[in-house]
Amino acid sequence: MVLKTLSDLNRLVEGGPRKKLVLAAAQDQHSLGAVIRAWKNNIIEPILIGDKEGIQNICALNNYDITGVRIIHEPETEMSVEMAVRMVSSKQADILMKGKIGTSTLLKCVLNKEWGLRTGNLLSHFALFEVETYHKVIAVTDVAMNIAPNLQEKIAIVNNSVSCLNRLGYVMPKVAVLGAVEMVNENMEATLHAALLSKMNQRDQIKNCIIDGPLAFDNAISLESSQHKGIRSEVAGETDLLLMPDIEVGNVLYKSLVFFAKAKVASIILGALVPIVLTSRSDSEQAKFDSILLAAAACR
Amino acid sequence: MEEKVLSLKRRYRIAVAWAQDSNTLGAIDKAVKRGFIQAILIGRSSEIIKICIEEGIDEKRFTIIESDNETKASSVAVGLAKRGEADIVMKGLVGTDKFLKAVMDKENGLMLPNAVLSYVGAIEIPAYHKLLFITDPAVIPFPDLEQKVAMAVYAIEMAQKFGIEKPKIALIGASEKMNRHFENSVDYSIMCKMADRGQIKNCIMDGPLDLFLACDKNSIGIKGVETPVDGEADILLFPSLESCNPFYKALMLFAQGELAGLIRGTEKPVIVMSRSESEKSKYFCIALSCLMA
Repeated sequence: MVLKTLSDLNRLVEGGPRKKLVLAAAQDQHSLGAVIRAWKNNIIEPILIGDKEGIQNICALNNYDITGVRIIHEPETEMSVEMAVRMVSSKQADILMKGKIGTSTLLKCVLNKEWGLRTGNLLSHFALFEVETYHKVIAVTDVAMNIAPNLQEKIAIVNNSVSCLNRLGYVMPKVAVLGAVEMVNENMEATLHAALLSKMNQRDQIKNCIIDGPLAFDNAISLESSQHKGIRSEVAGETDLLLMPDIEVGNVLYKSLVFFAKAKVASIILGALVPIVLTSRSDSEQAKFDSILLAAAACR
Repeated sequence: MEEKVLSLKRRYRIAVAWAQDSNTLGAIDKAVKRGFIQAILIGRSSEIIKICIEEGIDEKRFTIIESDNETKASSVAVGLAKRGEADIVMKGLVGTDKFLKAVMDKENGLMLPNAVLSYVGAIEIPAYHKLLFITDPAVIPFPDLEQKVAMAVYAIEMAQKFGIEKPKIALIGASEKMNRHFENSVDYSIMCKMADRGQIKNCIMDGPLDLFLACDKNSIGIKGVETPVDGEADILLFPSLESCNPFYKALMLFAQGELAGLIRGTEKPVIVMSRSESEKSKYFCIALSCLMA
């Protein structure tokens, strides 16, 4: 199955039991709006942890009706995060979401050795874009978390993303390893990594996907362009997942898709026990909502 | 191979450095009689003639150039090729290092500009259904990526001379897995992508592959590895001289293998063989060098 739009994610959550999303430090207008909307749309069952009065004030101010929503009062920000994380590790919640706290505080709790959400996997960022000029949604990783991943880290990032795509219904997602060129060039490490990842995929050392790279961006997303270059590739023009060489490239691509191409985006953190919704203030309300939807769809 | 050479209907001029060696002269004589070479022998003429008489070879079929030491004889042989007066250079009784010094001389040698000097062998074994090309058993101890690519290209060129348009080349390792701690498996993976992208042309390449996956179809089924080489390798590229060298010697000793081989990276074919090599092997080398000339 292939997702054409982000709202196709609805099909994956419809009918199933509603996933429990715990919002840490919930006294945050930006996240609350999206959480309430997702709740009203039957996508999730929210649990709000934080300063109860603050939460209620925001809801009153914005006319959010939260009758029936479970609120746990914990005015200490760090404590509210710990409580949220513990709820997830003790299987009382399925999705973790960041409210009014810094990312580093949240991640510190997620990585806590006793009660955190470690799986032994690397944490990585996974973004899913709906762009009008591409015939299906396209996933991009890692645009926000790993700065300059080495080969081992890239393998982990691909594995995280592929298993997420598998859960979203992609049996053999097509993975393009992005480079500036499609040729192998000893002076461009990204192209060497791409060659190694391709071989590991051929040898079943990276499973459940088809990897090709290096592919330049145009070769990855346009069959015509790849044919023009004479590239024989199962992935070219049909890419489901784009692996970025580093965060600089990834971040600029992410932002240019959003700002120039008016792309819709949903993003989550992978590699922990459950998907983590970690949106930033600058994300649109829609992006936050879509991220929750993605997290719900990506739950095991 | 002999038929192929004869079908070229040409006589190649071959310059032999320090030629007073019975195996070499025997092989040369046979090739001259077959009609595909003309020999220029450089060395001590008295000794050359003596060996010819002992072996029943008619020395009048050869041109003999007198030389009194092996270093000079090598330079003379290389010089003939350099000036276009010979098509092929062959090492006689001279030591490999002295001979190669003349070949690699910057001004008067035969090296192509910026070329990697390497060695490709063709080996015939009753246990394999076709000729097997191997590289490099003799020149580069631990080839890096660039040298491996050059070795692959040389081997492909040689296989093509034998009419194999798109030879199957297996990059040999101990396992088929990519493991970043095994540098060769890293180089091999990169080379495969280069072949995919047309940066190495005219071949079907896969690696790392172990020898079984490279040359035995049954192993492919058992291991469940999908490989375009498909147990049908024409070329085996080894990770080091010390893996390739015992491989071919084992085949010669234990599996009735016959090897012919050539230095690559030179303007003209250069035959370098161990002095202990048989007359038959030397004859095969001469035939091979004519094909590559």
